[in-house]
Amino acid sequence: MTSDVQAPVAGDQYAITKKDLTEMALNDGSLGMEFSWTYYKQMNLAFAVMMGKVLKKVYHDDPEGYAAALGRHAAFFNITVQFAPFVGGIALSMEERIKRGEIEPEAVNDVKAALMGPLSGLGDSIFLATIRVIAAAVGISLMQAGNPFGPIAFLLIYNLPGFWLRIWGAQKGYDLGVNFLEQAQRTGLMAKVMSAAAIIGAMVIGAMTVDMFWAEIPVALSAAEDAATIQDILNEIMPGILGLGAFWAYYWLLSKKINPSYLVLGTMVLGVIGAFFGFLG
Amino acid sequence: MVMQAILVGLVAAFGCFDYQLGTLYAFRPIVLCPLVGIALGDLQTGLAVGASLELLFMGSISIGAYVPPNETVGGVLACAFAISLGQGTEAAIALAMPIAILSQAIGNLLQPIWPLIVDWGEKKAGEGDLRSTRIAHWGIGLWGCLEYFLLCGGAFLLGADAVQGILDWIPSFVLDGFGIAANMLPAMGFAMLGRMILNKESMPFFFLGFLLCSYVGMPVLGVALLAIIIVIEKFNLLGGGMDAQLALEEDDDDF
Repeated sequence: MTSDVQAPVAGDQYAITKKDLTEMALNDGSLGMEFSWTYYKQMNLAFAVMMGKVLKKVYHDDPEGYAAALGRHAAFFNITVQFAPFVGGIALSMEERIKRGEIEPEAVNDVKAALMGPLSGLGDSIFLATIRVIAAAVGISLMQAGNPFGPIAFLLIYNLPGFWLRIWGAQKGYDLGVNFLEQAQRTGLMAKVMSAAAIIGAMVIGAMTVDMFWAEIPVALSAAEDAATIQDILNEIMPGILGLGAFWAYYWLLSKKINPSYLVLGTMVLGVIGAFFGFLG
Repeated sequence: MVMQAILVGLVAAFGCFDYQLGTLYAFRPIVLCPLVGIALGDLQTGLAVGASLELLFMGSISIGAYVPPNETVGGVLACAFAISLGQGTEAAIALAMPIAILSQAIGNLLQPIWPLIVDWGEKKAGEGDLRSTRIAHWGIGLWGCLEYFLLCGGAFLLGADAVQGILDWIPSFVLDGFGIAANMLPAMGFAMLGRMILNKESMPFFFLGFLLCSYVGMPVLGVALLAIIIVIEKFNLLGGGMDAQLALEEDDDDF
């Protein structure tokens, strides 16, 4: 059984408290995880800054141990930012065991490295592909109506879940410790959360393919003044079918490993040709 | 004009500082363009441009090795030029992507210097000197903000005439064409996100979302809420949710 987050025992002023963990989840290192991002070691400095204060508490009577620990946590690191405090919590619980001599110091960075891939994949699916898209959809529709609360709605919808995850994650990570990853994978929790995020994201993206695609084919089918255009026919059959076609065309091209920048340029060229000859509008 | 340039620069610097505030995604056009609008006294244009550019840059997120165009600089400058030159959303769309690609290239110029500072910060951490590590962290970040300030403020101050000249010189069908491209590019953004999350299991739900919006006309937020209900049912998240499952596993460990 892993240790629980405990209220400090009387007299033990060095026990890690809930307050310490929440502070860690919201300090300048945790929130600034991408502020000092470099190609070189990515989030290494920010992670060390995040861990500094709690490590000091763990190694309160061991300056050399503290220096070594802080140095350990300045190693290469990268993750979806909202998951950083969770990894911090796990790392902290491991540091306590390292101090007690129960595990080797190297283990903590091995665990961090093992968490980067799976948690980033999960985090990008949840935050970038799902919550961000929902938040943008709401914000954009408000802004298109001239409503200045659009950006605020976007920020709130995108960030409230993230801040909850930061605070909850720090506690949970510390609570479960290193066993979490193994447990999560054995119970299939990780796969489950991933599937759930993918389904929500897929539905939202499917809906936005209709809602947020505006190009049309305004080619009239006869010379009459009120003649139906190709777009009218398409709308009769299935509204949004053009967006769906474009989505799968891009999807296919991306699966051929074509650089997205070229696709952007290609689209601009297509748009200009379409505008010149009038088959796109 | 100088005052306006400073304000535009400050909006860009704030966009960079967002990475210290928790990567709130306030560095995106959806937030920065309205701020540019306030700075230049035309909030309505800022809102309209922000909405269009956010969609244009929908897929502009760093996944894997792909380094996307710089939507912060592209969004701020395109919006600022569109407002100050009395142009509309179309001009902003035409300007945004070229500026974003260009500034991405410029932003990479200073990357070779950072390893020195990163290594210094890491060495200091190894000596237990948290203060110096923190200085390295803030130094790198604030330098980035200064870069954004100078780049956007400077380009706005010096570039307005050149941009006006370019816009006058471009035939109108080219601007229209860029507008059409901007109306199509969100689909590419969704395709990039789709490449991340679509698989055999989630594919039918892509079409469910599409059909609900296409035939029923359900708004995206409604589709999202419906999706949450489907997921709760499908994975039985209310009866024996995640915590309960983990707790069960933990209990097993005790034997």
